[in-house]
Amino acid sequence: MTRTEFMTRLRRGLSGLSPAVIAEAAADYEAHFDEAIAAGRTEQEAAGALGDPVRLGRELRAELGLKRWDDSKSPSSALSAVLALLGLGALDILILLPILMSVLSALISLFLAVVVVIIAGGGVLVAGPFIHDFQTPWLPVFGGLAMVTGGTAVGAILTLFTIGLINALVWFGRLHYRLIKPAIEAQG
Amino acid sequence: MPEAIETQLKKGVLALCVLSLLSRGDGYAYDIASRLAAAIDMGEGTIYPLMRRLQGDGLVDTYLVESSAGPPRKYYRLTEAGRAAYAQQKTEWAAFATAVNDIVGAGE
Repeated sequence: MTRTEFMTRLRRGLSGLSPAVIAEAAADYEAHFDEAIAAGRTEQEAAGALGDPVRLGRELRAELGLKRWDDSKSPSSALSAVLALLGLGALDILILLPILMSVLSALISLFLAVVVVIIAGGGVLVAGPFIHDFQTPWLPVFGGLAMVTGGTAVGAILTLFTIGLINALVWFGRLHYRLIKPAIEAQG
Repeated sequence: MPEAIETQLKKGVLALCVLSLLSRGDGYAYDIASRLAAAIDMGEGTIYPLMRRLQGDGLVDTYLVESSAGPPRKYYRLTEAGRAAYAQQKTEWAAFATAVNDIVGAGE
């Protein structure tokens, strides 16, 4: 593989990332070629020793996706972390997808239930005394408050659980994606 | 699968090796990559995503040094956090290696 081929494939692997990130990564590998040639190696030798450029591109992209998740925990960065790991083949999508889908749908329905309880609690709190003539007037107020705070607490626990789940996936994925082998050896 | 175990072992210690090299003196990526690639069988390109991660985690930072021939070189050096991480990982590695050696050695 020539230097030009290597760089073209690398850029292809990085496509979709911001131009600044691509330029920075490309500059690293261009510098590597410069050094290798100054050290008396040929372009082919240098490209072979670097490893598969497509795979390198994916690994860089994954690092950025995982970094986003490390920096800020949001549903979109969670998605990008999981997608990055899937792109690396670090997580087996066929095994993972059914599990993730069921866990995810369970989580979503729990979150929905929590929201409903909180809203209903608010309703009981505000409208309760007017709709029904309770024997103790404080009953709907306390009942409503209990529903709102209980729902919020369960929601917070669910959020912590979800963050823990994604963290576990990221940890597992980082451990399992493979070192890039020199391309020369892969052909041999 | 022995091959999978081998690559994962290497991947696990790669960051430790880079931190160790940098603890002995600042270095540039080509030099680090060629020294590590020779010692542990791996693609030299692996070093770049790793350096990016170490930099993102604040364990290393970079500076440019004019070189006599060609464009300036990007050098990496350990930050304070990097030194702390190196000390901790080195201790963990030593304990782990001793434990494995004790078990593997006992079987002979």
